[in-house]
Amino acid sequence: MDLLQVIVSGLLLGGVYALFATGLNLIFGVMRVINLGHGELMMLGAYTTFWLFSLYDVNPLLSIPISAALMFALGVVLQRFIVERVVGRPLLSSLLLTFGLSTLFMGVALNRWDADYRSVAYRPLTGSFHLLGLDVSRSRLVAFGIALLVTGATYAFLRFSRFGKAIRATAQHAQVAQVCGIDVGRVRLVVFGLGSAMAAVSGSLIVTIFAVNPEVGRTFIAKAFAIVVLGGLGSFAGAFAGALLLGVAETVTAYFADTQLAEAVSYAVLVLVLMIRPSGFFGAEE
Amino acid sequence: MTGRTPVADQPRPDDSSGVTVSGDGLAATSDVARVKPLPGWERRLPAIYLVLLAIAVAGLLGFPRVANAYNLTLALTVLLTVSLATSWNMISGFAGYTSFGHAGFFGIGSYIGALLIFNETMPWIPAMVTAGVGTSLVALLIGYPTLRLRGPYFAITMLGLSEIARIVVTAWESLTRGGLGVYLPIVRDTRPNYYAMLVLTVVAVVVSYFIGTSAFGLTLRSIRDDEVAAQAMGVHTTRYKIAAFTLSAFFPGAAGAIYARHVGFIDPPTVFAVIWSIRAIATAILGGQGTILGPIVGAVALTLVSEQVWAENPFLYQVLFGGLIVVIVLFLPGGMMELLQRRGWLPRSRRL
Repeated sequence: MDLLQVIVSGLLLGGVYALFATGLNLIFGVMRVINLGHGELMMLGAYTTFWLFSLYDVNPLLSIPISAALMFALGVVLQRFIVERVVGRPLLSSLLLTFGLSTLFMGVALNRWDADYRSVAYRPLTGSFHLLGLDVSRSRLVAFGIALLVTGATYAFLRFSRFGKAIRATAQHAQVAQVCGIDVGRVRLVVFGLGSAMAAVSGSLIVTIFAVNPEVGRTFIAKAFAIVVLGGLGSFAGAFAGALLLGVAETVTAYFADTQLAEAVSYAVLVLVLMIRPSGFFGAEE
Repeated sequence: MTGRTPVADQPRPDDSSGVTVSGDGLAATSDVARVKPLPGWERRLPAIYLVLLAIAVAGLLGFPRVANAYNLTLALTVLLTVSLATSWNMISGFAGYTSFGHAGFFGIGSYIGALLIFNETMPWIPAMVTAGVGTSLVALLIGYPTLRLRGPYFAITMLGLSEIARIVVTAWESLTRGGLGVYLPIVRDTRPNYYAMLVLTVVAVVVSYFIGTSAFGLTLRSIRDDEVAAQAMGVHTTRYKIAAFTLSAFFPGAAGAIYARHVGFIDPPTVFAVIWSIRAIATAILGGQGTILGPIVGAVALTLVSEQVWAENPFLYQVLFGGLIVVIVLFLPGGMMELLQRRGWLPRSRRL
């Protein structure tokens, strides 16, 4: 029964990972930029929820749209003034650039808010449900539900809306999309904003589950890479399965071995998969 | 000098755009000379550099006689940063394989060195060398599988491996004392550490010079500019990359060990901190990656400026370096070297 309990708990966490990784995947798919600052956008989302809760008593679930909107705006600004300049340049320069952004944001956050761990202890989200003989943490269940909802909504947006079609066209071939009359600059703005908002929502959800500090982004970006490696590029279903798998693997490791080692799981997955499939990762892309 | 023609035998990347390859003109003179004559002073550059290096080393050797404790530590930090940046540049600048994992090597080296001293296995100087060699061996083991990857994936993998190293060192308590850290005997005299770091830095610069001016370095640049073309010309690219990587890991390893002896206490969060990678990257690209002088200039300039900030507030230091990386990538991808060359204060690069 213990094992089942742990697996369920890992699956629920995996849902939040999926939301986070999908944002990263989306940005790479459209702009061929690996955003190493994705984790810091998540961290800023988490802090938005934390501060709104602790300073103004805002219900953490209500602060999700606020944190999403703020990070959407930040994402658009970043894309417009900084990231756009490296679109089309070699992947390494975008990696260095976003590494710099990540370092910058983390430094600012450490500077303003210290390295202390913070969490949101919102009463209705603490404790657990009894479900089929299992104890299911409320905060994890709610977070899983919301993450699923947001990921699903994004999928529907890309799949069925007209602008979503434009985004998919740009991902397939930016130049041809442009020739067909799609404003690819605007597509990239929206995509970077959307990806950032997804990171922010996952941050807002994570902070209700466990405590975070400004360095949380760095561990999360590794998780996202591991998930993308497992699931493959552009595949929503693949990323989702990869995220659930990683969530379970981490929780099981933490339960049966050691929390320290659980942190190493995502790195190990990342390194092993890349060694077995050197061209793998984001597809066969250079 | 005109007799040096290894260039002619080298595989050339199929590069119609005529991209300049070398970042500075350290040894480039002879090759440019065939194209067009150089002004007199540029032809004598190798000699000029040799004299400058000799003056710098002499000055640095005499420095402890005049410096107080604070300035000596500052000088040690400058040298540490120069060797980090120069060694990062060997694999990331010359070969174009950006590594986010220099902190991992720094941490591994500090632990090897610190444990050898702590367990009284050997005197400290052999311990420093062993730390460097040990770190190189780790790089060799890591490099064999990871350097088959293309640049961006290598970069991300190194980020992961550096973290794995930290976690393993933390978890392996029987060997490393885990999160408790390692206390070393207190050394009141900074000078031996300073001289050790000076020797290490000079070796790093000399190795960097040989990479920058040899056929080996040219091969690394051909990998950076077009790896597929280099392979097609018959270059065993993985072998060259592994060699550069192994060589480049020696210096952060040995520097980490000297650092450990200098500060007297290490634990995983301090020696595996990402800030060591950030330092190496920011200073090397500020100076100019893929050049010999660039990392030296960048490291000296940035350390002297930023050490004040570091003393005030380590987090602000991170903000500064992060912002700097962004600005350089956007506006000055070639670093200060490129700027100086454009102004004509430094000789221009050779073309392949």
